[in-house]
Amino acid sequence: MTHSSEAQPISRRRFLSLSGQGALLAGVAIGTGSLWPRWAQAEPDLAAGLLRMGRDIYPHDAIEDTHYLTPLEPLLESRRALIADGLADLDRRAHEAHGRRYADIEQEADRAALLREIEDGDFFQTVRGTLVVGLYDNPALWEPHFGYEGASWQQGGYLHRGFDDLTVDWL
Amino acid sequence: MATRFDHDDDSVVVIIGSGAGGGTLANALAKKGINSVVLEAGKRYQMNDIENDEWEMFKKISWLDERITAGPRQLTETFPGLPAWIVKGVGGSTIHWAGVSLRFQPHEFKWHSEVGDIAGANLLDWPISYEELEPYYVKAERHMGVTGESTGMPYHQWNNNFKVLAAGAERVGYKQLRSGPMAINTEAYDDRARCMQAGFCMQGCRFGAKWSTMYTDIPRAEASGYCEVRPRSMALKIEHDDQGRATAVVYADGDGNQHRQRARAVCVAGNSIESPRLLLNSHSAMFPDGLANSSGQVGRNYMTHATSCIFGVMPKPVHMHRGTTFAGIISDEARLDPSRGFVGGYTLEVMSLGVPFFAKFMDPTNAGWGREITTALDKYDHLSGVWICGEDLPVETNGITLHDTKKDQHGLPVPVVYKGDHPNDEKLRRHGEQQARRCYEAAGAERIFKVPDFPTSHNVGTNRMSAKAQDGVVNQWGQTHDIDNLFISDGSQFTSSGAENPTLTIVALALRQADHIAERMQRQEL
Repeated sequence: MTHSSEAQPISRRRFLSLSGQGALLAGVAIGTGSLWPRWAQAEPDLAAGLLRMGRDIYPHDAIEDTHYLTPLEPLLESRRALIADGLADLDRRAHEAHGRRYADIEQEADRAALLREIEDGDFFQTVRGTLVVGLYDNPALWEPHFGYEGASWQQGGYLHRGFDDLTVDWL
Repeated sequence: MATRFDHDDDSVVVIIGSGAGGGTLANALAKKGINSVVLEAGKRYQMNDIENDEWEMFKKISWLDERITAGPRQLTETFPGLPAWIVKGVGGSTIHWAGVSLRFQPHEFKWHSEVGDIAGANLLDWPISYEELEPYYVKAERHMGVTGESTGMPYHQWNNNFKVLAAGAERVGYKQLRSGPMAINTEAYDDRARCMQAGFCMQGCRFGAKWSTMYTDIPRAEASGYCEVRPRSMALKIEHDDQGRATAVVYADGDGNQHRQRARAVCVAGNSIESPRLLLNSHSAMFPDGLANSSGQVGRNYMTHATSCIFGVMPKPVHMHRGTTFAGIISDEARLDPSRGFVGGYTLEVMSLGVPFFAKFMDPTNAGWGREITTALDKYDHLSGVWICGEDLPVETNGITLHDTKKDQHGLPVPVVYKGDHPNDEKLRRHGEQQARRCYEAAGAERIFKVPDFPTSHNVGTNRMSAKAQDGVVNQWGQTHDIDNLFISDGSQFTSSGAENPTLTIVALALRQADHIAERMQRQEL
């Protein structure tokens, strides 16, 4: 396994300075109109590759980019070489197969096929493992997107909130 | 003022573990005025430590000390360090269990007599019968507050998740559908509140409606003045004298300092991984293969239940997360009926997971990503789930061994937990999956899928009961064949796994063992 010598770990401080007052979630609409955090705007190539990959691993069309980018961002600090090298490798494979960068491949099935080639590797599983918690253990998405209401003891459980309200009338 | 016993006090019973076996035993002995010291590896939790949060509670209470998952199973790849999902804390896995309280059936105590030898399986009859245990089942049900006849507590209302499964099951022709028995109060019972249908049973019941030694047996035993519980105390070795009687337990406290607690008798209740591990680690010149291991059966015959998990995407929202986690039980397939192509039976138990666990467990293999996963997650609120709890045959090579070189934080070899399927387990599982699918098809599911196995919480065997000393580790009282004052008090003493969740039987055996220990003490035999 080779590591790019240019890929230096980036410090937390630099991230914070890139993001002004440290408000990582603040962002402006760029590109396709998604809300991107400022760190992502400062490193658009890495961010675009990582976001595309995250959205291909767990595709939910109705979930905003920011919910993918926010949990993935720490990887650019803690595992930067792995991520930079992994994305470079993915782009190399994409060029070979489709003559363009991974994030620029239009068909989801084509991108997914490339990811299947690397799914057993550390890079892929690191991104996926980070996202499976970062995306689905996010209470901001639970009820709005999944219809999962989460913690209930503060409201006295679901005893009076519909635990047995279903009529199975679809048979 | 809490009771404190001296380390040199050799009149105490030392109990290792504070869960369903150890916690029950400590309280039962205390009621008889017998002194005990409970050594619990984990720390003490308070009720307000209990959160309705899957990952937070997983990280907080799980036994995460190093263990190695081994064997020809997918879990070896997906969860290489987590062969079982159990709790490290005062209360043990009774913090995390879901309350299902089924009795074993009479034939499950005498499998070998019923079906004879089966190639590759190490089948044996229990040295006790259902009839002998029945009075203790009744006592256990009253003790734990199990809904149904013994307590008079009504069963729970069927929650949405169970209504869906039951609608399909009835169409398939199943008759034995119940929302219990559960050790979860449907009305105030034994100074505990009623169930508020919060879900999160496996993260701990914030209302205390579910029986757990964390807030029942352990504090009551302590309040009696006859019991001292030492949290963060990891048992390292059981010592014995020249006559081969257990004399003391060496343990490490939370700072790593070692202590020696002398003992009149020792009761091991550390779950099916740690209990045999402790016996194996306690080898000596007199017992070179480990304590109580003259049969060579310590650490063998590990059973986890043959399980599988099926989900259906229903046409309308179900909200499976509302209400008790395992809200309903179907027992039609728990029968003895080899015409199905396998011996042993299974129960179908409706189950739910929250979004965080569902996302993690839906397919934890490397290939578990992409639209097939996310289109199911997008329908989370339409999901209904069922878990198959099936008889798992004892196989001698399934079990706990000590790693050659890897050591834990106390310098002890880490346990290697090896498990493979007997062909019978595979047939049973496939049958269960097919029947579960039929139920969801009959209920109108738009999509049905299987979830790969996740680390089990049902661990039994590894120190099994047997009539003869050469066949197993303990006798019908849980007393080791080899050492008169050494007992096994947890599910590791099970001779077979049954088609039922193990906790009620563990508690019944612990209550029975307490009577036995007290009688022997009265007779000056212990």
